[in-house]
Amino acid sequence: MKRYSNATLCLAVVTLVFAARPLSAGPAQPVKAKASAIQVEMIRSDEIKLPAEFQISLYENLVRQLEKQGGFEHVYRDGDRRAKDAPDLVVLHSTVRGFKEGSERARRVTTVAGATSITIHCEFKNTDGKVVLEQDVNGKVWFFGGNLRATYDFAKKTARMAHDNFNPSAHKS
Amino acid sequence: MKRSKFLVSFAMALAFAALAICGANAQQSSKTDNKAIALTGLPGVKDDAKGKLTVENGKLHFVYGKKSSDVSVASIEDVVTGEDSQAAVGKTVSTLSMAAPYGSGRFLALFRTKFDTLTLRYRDENGALHGVIFALPASGAEPIKKQLLAQGAHTTVVSERTAAAPASANSSSKEQKQ
Repeated sequence: MKRYSNATLCLAVVTLVFAARPLSAGPAQPVKAKASAIQVEMIRSDEIKLPAEFQISLYENLVRQLEKQGGFEHVYRDGDRRAKDAPDLVVLHSTVRGFKEGSERARRVTTVAGATSITIHCEFKNTDGKVVLEQDVNGKVWFFGGNLRATYDFAKKTARMAHDNFNPSAHKS
Repeated sequence: MKRSKFLVSFAMALAFAALAICGANAQQSSKTDNKAIALTGLPGVKDDAKGKLTVENGKLHFVYGKKSSDVSVASIEDVVTGEDSQAAVGKTVSTLSMAAPYGSGRFLALFRTKFDTLTLRYRDENGALHGVIFALPASGAEPIKKQLLAQGAHTTVVSERTAAAPASANSSSKEQKQ
């Protein structure tokens, strides 16, 4: 008799866990804003002096990663006149907030020193100039690769963030 | 007497050999002048493509394998070399990672040759901004930059330098040392 009651209790707990799971999973999904196209502005670094090759590498990697995994129908570059006609356009403004240039040689020799890191404040604005999404994104290269690899890391993270928050077919929240 | 003759002839042979080696090195360096690696941003060209970079008839011409890619010089808004960046920021990306198998890169990094970079910004026919980064042999970017400027490209760095030039005549040598 006791064995049966224990089994019933276990079954009830398992049922409760499975029943509660969809309820808790529901609100965690982010609501995606509608945006079929994105325009990438040139990376600004007014306060922090950034080498020209880093600035260009950040911009080019960002455009490439947004084209690859951003989920947008069109990715326009800074100054592209065709962006004016694009419906549901968001404009990405990026400003460098922090930059620490490491050393590839130090990384390769010690594996613990010489990391390069870059912090960029990203603002996604709609055509009215209203900020739809803003976040600081960090790009790092710890162990392998040249210093410019930090720009690739930043671009991948930003593209993923854009993919998670915008959808070309979603309805505006 | 014999010994001194031998020493003189040996010294002369050494001197000739040194001259010949210097000549061969000079010839080799002049041949490799326009070698470049397109690190990123050149349309239709894979990253890290090795080729030759020339400036001809108002176009920046990059030839790699059997293919080529052109950028109109007139559309270039900014040309910056690694040395320019060094002067402005203090550090540059002077060493580049090269593929080295089985972790030998860590050892090779200690003996890695230094590179110069040439960074361009230009706009296409739609007004869209593009950026290109080339890696060149050490101090190989400046001659190409000069050719580009002579054929109509623009730069933000030259104006700053020329503005600062009259102020101090000897400043350029000091800047290089810094």
